[in-house]
Amino acid sequence: MTTITPTIRQGLRRSLFWIGAVVLLLLVALGALAAIGGVTPTTPLSPENAATDGTRAVAEVLRQQGVDVQVTDSLDATTQAVIDPSATTIVMHDPDAILDAGQLDTLAGLATRLVLIDPGFAVLQELAPGIRSAGAPSDDPLEAACPAAAPSPTVSSGGTAYRTTESGAETCLLSRSDGVPDAYSLVRVDRDGTAVWVLGATAALTNGEVLDHDNAAFALTLLGEAPRLVWYLPSAADAATPDIQDITPGWLTPAIALLVATLLAAVLWRGRRFGPLIVENLPVTVRASETMEGRARLYQSSSARLRAIDAIRVGTIGRLATRCGLGSAASVDEVIAAVVAAVGGVEHDIRSILLDEIPETDAALVRLSARLAELETSVAASARR
Amino acid sequence: MAVSGWFVGLVALGILPVLVFGNGLALAGWLVFVLLVAVIDISFAGSPRLVTLGRELPARIRLGESATSVLTITNTGRRTLRGTVRDGWQPSAGAAPTRASIAIPVGERRAVRTTLTPFRRGERRAEHVTIRSFGPLGLVARQATRTESSVLRVLPPFSSRKHLPSRLARLRELDGATSVQVRGQGTEFDSIREYVRGDDVRSIDWRATARSDPSSAAGQQLMVRTWRPERDRRVVIVIDSGRTSAARIANEPRIDTAFESSLLLAALATRAGDRVDTIVFDRRIRGRVQGAAGPELLSRMVDTMATIQPELIEMDWASVPALVRTVTSHRALVVLMTSIDAPGASRGLLSVLPQLTRTHLVVVASVADPGVIAATRDRGDRTAVYRAAAAERALLDTARVSAAIRQLGADVVTGAPTDLPPAVADRYIALKRAGRL
Repeated sequence: MTTITPTIRQGLRRSLFWIGAVVLLLLVALGALAAIGGVTPTTPLSPENAATDGTRAVAEVLRQQGVDVQVTDSLDATTQAVIDPSATTIVMHDPDAILDAGQLDTLAGLATRLVLIDPGFAVLQELAPGIRSAGAPSDDPLEAACPAAAPSPTVSSGGTAYRTTESGAETCLLSRSDGVPDAYSLVRVDRDGTAVWVLGATAALTNGEVLDHDNAAFALTLLGEAPRLVWYLPSAADAATPDIQDITPGWLTPAIALLVATLLAAVLWRGRRFGPLIVENLPVTVRASETMEGRARLYQSSSARLRAIDAIRVGTIGRLATRCGLGSAASVDEVIAAVVAAVGGVEHDIRSILLDEIPETDAALVRLSARLAELETSVAASARR
Repeated sequence: MAVSGWFVGLVALGILPVLVFGNGLALAGWLVFVLLVAVIDISFAGSPRLVTLGRELPARIRLGESATSVLTITNTGRRTLRGTVRDGWQPSAGAAPTRASIAIPVGERRAVRTTLTPFRRGERRAEHVTIRSFGPLGLVARQATRTESSVLRVLPPFSSRKHLPSRLARLRELDGATSVQVRGQGTEFDSIREYVRGDDVRSIDWRATARSDPSSAAGQQLMVRTWRPERDRRVVIVIDSGRTSAARIANEPRIDTAFESSLLLAALATRAGDRVDTIVFDRRIRGRVQGAAGPELLSRMVDTMATIQPELIEMDWASVPALVRTVTSHRALVVLMTSIDAPGASRGLLSVLPQLTRTHLVVVASVADPGVIAATRDRGDRTAVYRAAAAERALLDTARVSAAIRQLGADVVTGAPTDLPPAVADRYIALKRAGRL
């Protein structure tokens, strides 16, 4: 009589290997994660994104050229990143329209050069009211003809084109094939001493297309003029919406945690087995009639009507022979004669039931087998009389 | 370690402080409180390891009967043991109840009674005992499983023993004890005695009458011969435990019916003064009862048969004649308990029958399926007619094999599972009456 449930110490010792293995695996995973340096963001046009729709290539080349590139995700961080407003370019890309008018106003006052990448309607209204979106440019390369893009004759198409009604606006990157050539992918306006560039040709900056046409030269010229570049991607930190924590009651989170704890306790309560399972070898269960059933289904699926009725006939004739007092060696003719003598009727009919008729359909088969059963019953009745 | 539903309830009760105080600190405090209570509770629980176990139960029972297993638990620890015990019997031991609550003070002993109603013959085992010991608050428990093996041998039911009294009465009619002594009702010459009224005149021995002393007081006497049934014959029962014996007919495996038939036949034959040897065989000898007589024979037979289950291998008929020869070299009644379903499957049996029938009287006993006969009568619809045809075909196959066996000089007994044991016994009595043993 021994106890087979391990004590806590034995259990620990027994599972030491697995505990060690899991800890080792976690360490290896953490180490690998640290070595890789985490996951690069997949935000389009982010200077940290190395995928084809990121702009890491441009940012890195600007850094090599001596431009101090800073990436920020909130207006506060952007304000702090700007040291000398006159020597700073701010690049802003806000696809989710997070910033409100006041924040945009603040942003415009931060530096003397502001590049808006693919701005939405609200941003245009606030910072460059004279510029309107003109849809997508044509697929042909855009013609660069302005001081901002001086060394680059052509730039990749893509993004958005703009029209402007403002008199002092400087337009660049003409989209040619739209009939009237009045749509531009780069427009510059002045707003209270700040040069605001509205850039629609986003494709030119991406890692995937920066080497096409004269994109690289264009991007470097536009963004690399000032010694400091602040690349501002507004995030949830700028959003003015109330925090979810402010609208939930204080007890909700602890109540959910308590629910989880209760569930865990219930799992322990119902999941703990009351001793190990007790094994037992069970015998196989084979029904003896399975061969018979299988054969019946075979007959039916292959419509073996003649074979089926023959089996019934042979069995019936054997039983009829016994009923009429004939031996098992009696011939069919003798049995038929004896049956006719016993129950009367026409010999031809009885011979047809017992021997000659071939059932052509399943209905005929059922009819014939019923007549065989009837014949058997009537012979039994006559023998009893 | 185990927790009770009360523990879960206690954890859930933490909703009150959480609602009242409405912050995470209340939750943490409550959880710490619950944990503290649990630790205190478990530290006052009796140790489920410090016990002495013992189990008392009968060694063997018949299938269908119930036995009581008494598990005694002695608390050798330092604290009262209160909680639940599970006696770990195999499922087919039919244990009820499987769990019992206990409260054993220090140094005392308590009995846990479990009623066992096995629904399968063979050896039913109990492997271990699990004790879950709760603390005084009933929140948390310590649990330990102890090995405590016991075996209950479940014997074949021998339900056909209800046929035994009537068959024994018919056997006694054969005996010299009854007045009606007709020649041919047994072939062994018993004695010569004087004629009394009522004796069959055909049994008068005229030579003995002539030899009788005419000068005696009663004058010359008519002398009659008396006969008694033959005794001291051998009956060898060979039970097929191969794959075909696993098949169930009317929810009873063929081998169980064969055991029932063998037990009834052995009970009858040993009362009639014959010697019975039983062999259970497939490709090797699975069980063998030899040289036993009287009540010992039956108890040894059921004990041997209790644990034998059919094996899914083909019966080796070729070694059966040699097997019978190891039992006896003289003429014997050899009863083969097997199945005669299909000509193909019975080929092995048919090939060795001539060797057996040359020296022995052979009876082949086989279970017939009542469901097949019922299927031949059902002609209701298309499916039923095809079933009837298949059933007729099965019956024809059996009839062909039976005819072949009879042609080889052996005898065939078939019957439904309930009818086969008395049918085999009747055939034995008929053979005895005819003096063919």
